[in-house]
Amino acid sequence: MKTHRRSVKLLAASLALTGLLVACGSDDEETTDPGTEAPAATEAPGATEAPAEGGETPTSGEGIVLAVNPWTGSAVNANVAKVVLESLGTPVELLDIDENATWVGMDDGSIDAVLEVWPSGHAADYETYITGKQSVVDLGLLGPSAKIGWYVPTFVVEEHPELATWEGFQDPELAKLFSTAESGDDLGQFLMGDPSYVTFDEQIIANLELPLKYVVAGSEAGLITSIQQSIDEKTPLLLQFWQPHWLQSKVELTEVKLPEVTEECLASAAAGDGGYACDYAVDELYKAASAGLEAKNATAFKVLKNLQLTTDQQNEIAAMIDSDGMAPAEAAAAWVAANADVVAAWSA
Amino acid sequence: MALATASGPSNATAPTFGVAGTRRWILPVAAFGLLAIVAIAVNPNVPSWMDIGLQKWVRDRYMWTVQNSNTSWIFTSVFNPLSDAINWMVESVQWILRTLRWPGVLALFAAIGWMTAGIRAAVSGGLAMAAIAVLDVWEPAMVTLSIMVTAVSIALVIGIPLGIWTSRSDRAERVLRGFLDTAQVMPAFVYLIPVTIFFGIKYPPAVIATVIYAVPPAVRLTSLGLRSVPTVMNEVGESFGCTSWQQLLKVQLPMARSTILLGLNQVIMMAFGIVVIASLLGADDLGNLVLKGLQKNDVGAAFVPGLGIVLLAVALDRISTGERSTPTRPPLIKLPTVDRRTGTLIALGTVVVAAAIAKLADVTAIPDALTVDISGTINDAVGWVQDNLRKGVPVIGGTQAINDFLVTDVLEPLRKFLVWLPWLLVVVVVAGIAYLSKGWRLAVGCSACLLLIGTMGDIPGGADGRTHLWDLSMDTLSQVLVAIVISVAIALPLGVWAGRSDRAQQVMRPFLDTAQVMPQFVYLIPVLFLFGVGRGAGVVASVIYAIPPCIRLTGLGLREVPYTPREAAISFGATERQELVKVQLPLAFRSIMLGINQTILMVLATVIIAALVGAGALGLVAYEGFTKPIQKIGQSAAAGLSIVFLAIVLDRITQAWGTSPDQQRRS
Repeated sequence: MKTHRRSVKLLAASLALTGLLVACGSDDEETTDPGTEAPAATEAPGATEAPAEGGETPTSGEGIVLAVNPWTGSAVNANVAKVVLESLGTPVELLDIDENATWVGMDDGSIDAVLEVWPSGHAADYETYITGKQSVVDLGLLGPSAKIGWYVPTFVVEEHPELATWEGFQDPELAKLFSTAESGDDLGQFLMGDPSYVTFDEQIIANLELPLKYVVAGSEAGLITSIQQSIDEKTPLLLQFWQPHWLQSKVELTEVKLPEVTEECLASAAAGDGGYACDYAVDELYKAASAGLEAKNATAFKVLKNLQLTTDQQNEIAAMIDSDGMAPAEAAAAWVAANADVVAAWSA
Repeated sequence: MALATASGPSNATAPTFGVAGTRRWILPVAAFGLLAIVAIAVNPNVPSWMDIGLQKWVRDRYMWTVQNSNTSWIFTSVFNPLSDAINWMVESVQWILRTLRWPGVLALFAAIGWMTAGIRAAVSGGLAMAAIAVLDVWEPAMVTLSIMVTAVSIALVIGIPLGIWTSRSDRAERVLRGFLDTAQVMPAFVYLIPVTIFFGIKYPPAVIATVIYAVPPAVRLTSLGLRSVPTVMNEVGESFGCTSWQQLLKVQLPMARSTILLGLNQVIMMAFGIVVIASLLGADDLGNLVLKGLQKNDVGAAFVPGLGIVLLAVALDRISTGERSTPTRPPLIKLPTVDRRTGTLIALGTVVVAAAIAKLADVTAIPDALTVDISGTINDAVGWVQDNLRKGVPVIGGTQAINDFLVTDVLEPLRKFLVWLPWLLVVVVVAGIAYLSKGWRLAVGCSACLLLIGTMGDIPGGADGRTHLWDLSMDTLSQVLVAIVISVAIALPLGVWAGRSDRAQQVMRPFLDTAQVMPQFVYLIPVLFLFGVGRGAGVVASVIYAIPPCIRLTGLGLREVPYTPREAAISFGATERQELVKVQLPLAFRSIMLGINQTILMVLATVIIAALVGAGALGLVAYEGFTKPIQKIGQSAAAGLSIVFLAIVLDRITQAWGTSPDQQRRS
């Protein structure tokens, strides 16, 4: 017992000693640590000045945090912004984080901005944080638009051309092609992905009286695996999917035509009366920032507000990542170097 | 129910039969019969007046928090400083790990292992860490390690005192038990976003979520350890005039050491179970790499960091709790024995030297020549499995056929049946089972839990505007029951095998560790591919996670059967089979029941993961609180609590099956 206790004390003492020993040795390393961000900044093309270390840090030098949500487009925008801002002397930390936690982070200022928000999924966040509490500000449109819709693998439409529009699904025999164990034998399965997506599918199915059963896959992985399997095994699949998505360039999917978006339809969505029976509206992607960003780093605020990419530009960089296997940081640096004029306009 | 009747032989002393027994049964049978008739006669669905408005209450509290999170004193002067302190702890651990560099960290693991459990633990701890280096995930692994060390320390600091308290007060134990059950079974997705509002993003919420999950085993096993200290020992302490404190520190805690260490092991395992979920909040750790692999549907890329998580858990487990089984073979090399003090010095000297050399030689990253990338191999293996097991397997037809059978012929009929039953009849039947298992008190408790599910209101949405929470609960119950039966059917034979063969146990151990700690996110894709989106995949994901404790505890139970009765049986000419069935299994009954009980809790803890592969039901509604907190936090809390209530009912009933009749009478 006694020796045991002594050895514990000894352990504590020697651990502390080890800490001290190594700490003394590594002092120099620690002080250079923040500096390592400076060389990273100078590597960026177009960099003219590294941030001044210590003492009078210019206001533009205060570091900011950008959220990266789990899809390629989000990584593209954030990495492009990082390259540009660091060339202007603002160190940027990229934080991989869930999109809902992002809003909480912007609210308390631990995240400075997010550059790609899909409005359809975040109406409540917009109302709460931007309109209501005003702890988050709208930074304007990013440029690309997105579209949610009903999709089938293209081979399905080739075999049954009538399934290119929603009317085709009114035929119970055709709908049954999509049946699975989950939908039972009498109905076709309609697959929805992650519950965080906006969905009117249940209402569309009910209001258009389609013989379909709404099944929630629960995750994007569930959707992607189902798509790949459907194409491998040539078994029909109907699901909610969207553009842009990296999978769209790898497999052949066809969007099913739903009834045109109308004013009543949008009104019904806003009222939440369950009467939605049309296609999804186009999502104009926007940017948002923490309300404190402008005071904290005016340059960064201006650049992020001006930052815009066209759909083609975003796709070009996304392809470098998804198809050519480049790291997002590399792809962004390469694109910024080749598009200096586009980028220069943001900080003008 | 078959399991309950299995307790028959050991129940021989209870006066179940005979005239007196019959009379004892008349009253309960009449009572339950009457209740059942009433239950069928009244509303088959939960009446809407029972809704106590919980969902709205939760949402209102949530919105208040959102509105005041930057201004109220409770945030500025309580939670923000707390969050800063946690962040400081995590970053300090990271700083130490960085300063030691990887050779120093390897040496530290080996040194701690050597001091706590000897050379075997040192080697296995060191090797596990070396493997992490070889997999080339060292940096994120150190971030995970820093979060885990912080969370496990906090969990112990909270859990051990609570465990001491509950060991001394029955009332404290009763009060705390409900909270511990809730902490263990409530899906983290329900409270993840609220925790983020309270503690900010990145490390602090990850630590808090992990602590919530890891405290229960620390409390439970500390309490269990202290309560099982023999009374004699306490009396000896008293007769020597020990004060209460001395008694605790000098007698009880040392005697309960092994159980408390088992608690530490469980704390570590539980903590690692939540790594990936915690990374959703912004930690740049192994869990984040798993999520990135998942995002690209790249199983290999998700598997490598997943394996890193397993190795880290194994390393921490081995060095902190030691090898719990005594080595059966003599050691290969006989090391010179040294006294503890010299040993400690040697161990720490090694760490200092390793760190110093690393510093002088300026070793920072692992040399590329030493790392291997196994993700390609994993993808090939997964591809083979997906191509060959889904269809065309002789006899069983393949995983797709299994899935279709499970969903069409088992899960859906069972769900329909449970939903079709009048809801009060379910309550009465469960109460009846509870009464038969233990008595009136359990019957009342279980019915209260089920009635509470009825008070939480319906879930908006669904084809007719709202979905009954009760129907969703029955859907979940049907899936959980099927997963439990399958898990036990797989785990019991394996556990018996592990209990009778050392080799089997050794071979199984790494697989069990992996199944328990490997993040489920890693194998979601293969499971989805093999079984397709839906409840079949959900059941499979739960089974993989739930069988290890049952195998372990069955094996342990068989091993702990004393040799004397077995020898007696053999000397009476019992065959090996008779000896197993008539002697070993009955004597190991309690341990096996504990294993089944753990399996049930594990299955319920994975309800939410099952929802991520298409199982729907309560898990999906609970998950929606994370995906759309502002609209859905209320219904998410209601679904999460329903999962907890189902868990409590199943837990208490199976626990009653595990206690022997003598104990039942005493309680």
